[in-house]
Amino acid sequence: MLTFTEEILLLLGDDEGAFLPIREHAFECVLAGAVLLDLAFAYRIDTDLESLVVINAEPTGHPILDTVLARVAARADKTDTQTWIRMLSTEYAAAIREQALTSLVGRGILERREERFLRAFGSVRYPTLDHAVQRGVKARIARALDDAIPDPRDIALISLADACQILPELFPDREIGPARVAQLRRMDLIGREVAGTIADIQRTIVRAARVQAQRTQNRLLSFSIAAAAGIAAVLLVPSIPAPDRFGPSVLEHLWFDRFWQQWSGYLLLAFSVAVLLIGVALRKRLVPRIAGLRRWRLAHVVIGFACVPALFAHTGFRLGANINAALMGFYLAALLSGALAGIAIGAVHRLHQAGIGRTGNLRRTLLWLHVAAICPLPALLAVHILAAYLY
Amino acid sequence: MSSKTVYWWVGTTLLAAAYMAASMVVGGDRRPLLIGRTTDAHHQIEMACETCHAAGPFAGAAAAERALNETCRNCHEAELNAADDSHSRSMFRNPRMAAYWEKLDARLCTSCHAEHRPEITRTGAVTVAMDFCVACHSEDEQDIRLDRPSHAGLGFETCATAGCHNYHDNRALYEEFLVEHAGEPGHKPEPVHGLTARLRLRERPAETALGRDDAVAPAAALADTKVLALWAGSGHAAAGVNCGACHAEKPDAESEPADVAARTGPADVVAHWIEAPSTGACKSCHEPQARTFARGRHGMREHPGIAPPRNPVEGLERIGLSRVTPAIVTDWLADPFPPARMTVGEARLPMRADADARRALDCGACHRPHDVDTARAAVEACVSCHDDSHTRAYAGSPHHRLLQAELAGEAPPGAGVSCVTCHMPGTESRDTITTNHNQNDTLRPYEKMIRSVCLDCHGLEFSLDALADAGLVERNFRGKPKVHIESVEWAVQRSTADGRSGTR
Repeated sequence: MLTFTEEILLLLGDDEGAFLPIREHAFECVLAGAVLLDLAFAYRIDTDLESLVVINAEPTGHPILDTVLARVAARADKTDTQTWIRMLSTEYAAAIREQALTSLVGRGILERREERFLRAFGSVRYPTLDHAVQRGVKARIARALDDAIPDPRDIALISLADACQILPELFPDREIGPARVAQLRRMDLIGREVAGTIADIQRTIVRAARVQAQRTQNRLLSFSIAAAAGIAAVLLVPSIPAPDRFGPSVLEHLWFDRFWQQWSGYLLLAFSVAVLLIGVALRKRLVPRIAGLRRWRLAHVVIGFACVPALFAHTGFRLGANINAALMGFYLAALLSGALAGIAIGAVHRLHQAGIGRTGNLRRTLLWLHVAAICPLPALLAVHILAAYLY
Repeated sequence: MSSKTVYWWVGTTLLAAAYMAASMVVGGDRRPLLIGRTTDAHHQIEMACETCHAAGPFAGAAAAERALNETCRNCHEAELNAADDSHSRSMFRNPRMAAYWEKLDARLCTSCHAEHRPEITRTGAVTVAMDFCVACHSEDEQDIRLDRPSHAGLGFETCATAGCHNYHDNRALYEEFLVEHAGEPGHKPEPVHGLTARLRLRERPAETALGRDDAVAPAAALADTKVLALWAGSGHAAAGVNCGACHAEKPDAESEPADVAARTGPADVVAHWIEAPSTGACKSCHEPQARTFARGRHGMREHPGIAPPRNPVEGLERIGLSRVTPAIVTDWLADPFPPARMTVGEARLPMRADADARRALDCGACHRPHDVDTARAAVEACVSCHDDSHTRAYAGSPHHRLLQAELAGEAPPGAGVSCVTCHMPGTESRDTITTNHNQNDTLRPYEKMIRSVCLDCHGLEFSLDALADAGLVERNFRGKPKVHIESVEWAVQRSTADGRSGTR
């Protein structure tokens, strides 16, 4: 039988061997919770109001489950479920994931395939070899969503999938209301002695995952709003006039002195290349979508945001003329569409709470505009730089 | 967005970039690469980048800067020398001036005149703050306030903007000159422009004058009686210049005017007849006018310092592609050949809506080829294109009324003031008076025309005041100056206190 970790990884895998994009820390919480759920279903742990305790320290035969079991058993002081999930997600998430993937590869369900992009980005894909197993897991969830009295193990799996927020992607053709998922989670797990433990772990996983998801989204939202505000300033605020007094002027040096223009240009170019490569790697799914997603996407957004002050230093937000105007136009369009897409992604939960549930088309349109605006930039940048050095 | 769309979009931009790269290295229109609006009349030569960017590709910053400054001097050095440049490059190249290099490096034109920077370009194409005099004249022995008590309360931003000083041309403000002309009346008792008067009164030898019957041309040309009549009444006929001088093909490119003049035999003229002669025919006799025309805004594309169009074959040879590039591509990469002369449509100054935008500014634009009526060229030709307030206000202005009086014989020769009187004044060299066709010689700043033009009829104080009053200039000097420049009083006070005198 597959563990919860293995099942959730199977659900996350797509046809190309990459993973559905989910927030890294939420996923780490899910992995930690999945292990605790496996231990609970194996009657190894129990919870009360204040702590999670080992009731049977006998090894289960799964290396990672036994490692976690030993870790929990070794702790003397009282520690509640939430703390354990936080600690385990920090200490063991990578190991849990690797062990589960290795196990799935060993069973012939997945295949391990390593790839590299521009030597800078290494990625490992896990294409599915045995689609029947994956379909079986999905079918169990589908049945559980429909059945009046589902299997407790399927309910736990639904809780994990819900914490990952992948249910809409797994079942794009059906409406899965949050009420039905909450109802399933609240179901009395009749006949199970550890029913309270499982429910406690489920609640904690969902809570921890959502808190982390909100933090990440808030960060994304903040940087995106700041970038959008910077670009709006370019378009709305009149350009800063040149100083009327002769003498050292930082702004005049920055914008009109060849030396400083050259170095601010190098800085902007470095930011632009970095953000472009990361963007391509993200779009082409060349960075690990789970372990590295948060880091790379945050880097993409932060460097994209840093392009705004760098652009200010290089141009003073003057729109330029001729080919430079085209470059500036596409550059600002790329930054603005990226910032708006970031806002749309970062605010998705707030919009959902406000009753605006369907923002997928908006996000897709903004990302389309983002890519369309970026495409001419390498060529325009090359011409801009070549012209600067030729003349 | 599908991958196909992305690849198509990227491919299109790469193709466009490749063309732009080729236009930089091989040939083609490079105006889309201009990083900013060019200054003043430089837009006329902006398609010939090498005119200013003379350093080779990928030259170091210092070499590029040196080359830029050298090309500035190519076109402007003669003008600066004539103006007795107050801050000449040679003065600042002296190592004793090294302390000033850090403040404002006056050895380089580009320290104050950066091109393609419309955001910081001020009056006179200056790209530093207009109080730039503060850099050197606010401390040590150069502190202007030390020996000029009259300047104590003046801000440095007023030095070059109030109508007093100019950085380069201060001929109207030399202290001794100011003192010498102190107390002059606003209008002189017999206001006449001396050189113009002498030009008007010039006598032509009667023995060389030609009449209608002397014209030598093919029969078809002689049949045009209107043209024949115009020529017979022109200065050309009066000076003995027959049709063949302009219409007969020259024996070779280096022919002397004398050779052409010698070709007056009917057979020669008919055999080598050119229906529409080029301006080369004019230049062959009017070389000084042609030379000054090429220095002004009307004819600057003919200046010898302008870089010629690039040869795309040479560009392809440099990158080793000349043998593999088909001729059709080579032709496509040729530099766009701009009109050899400025056209009315290219002007940045306001032009009349009914002016022919395609009209090239050659000799014939102002001088009708057969009657060569200089009176028409002096006013009518100008106002037929220019449409700024100063030009529009000319008709009926005091200067215009004087011109009408002169033409009517009610005022002495040289008393009238046409556009040319001020903007293309006559100059004398070796007893020969020629019209200076560089209209910029007395402009930018206006004070450049005080010595050569204004003082013929007006006092210095009046001239300084009038030219400092922008509104009065716009109204074409209808009324009296409302601005007063105190330079003359201050110079007199200082001179009296020091007991100095003399003229520079």
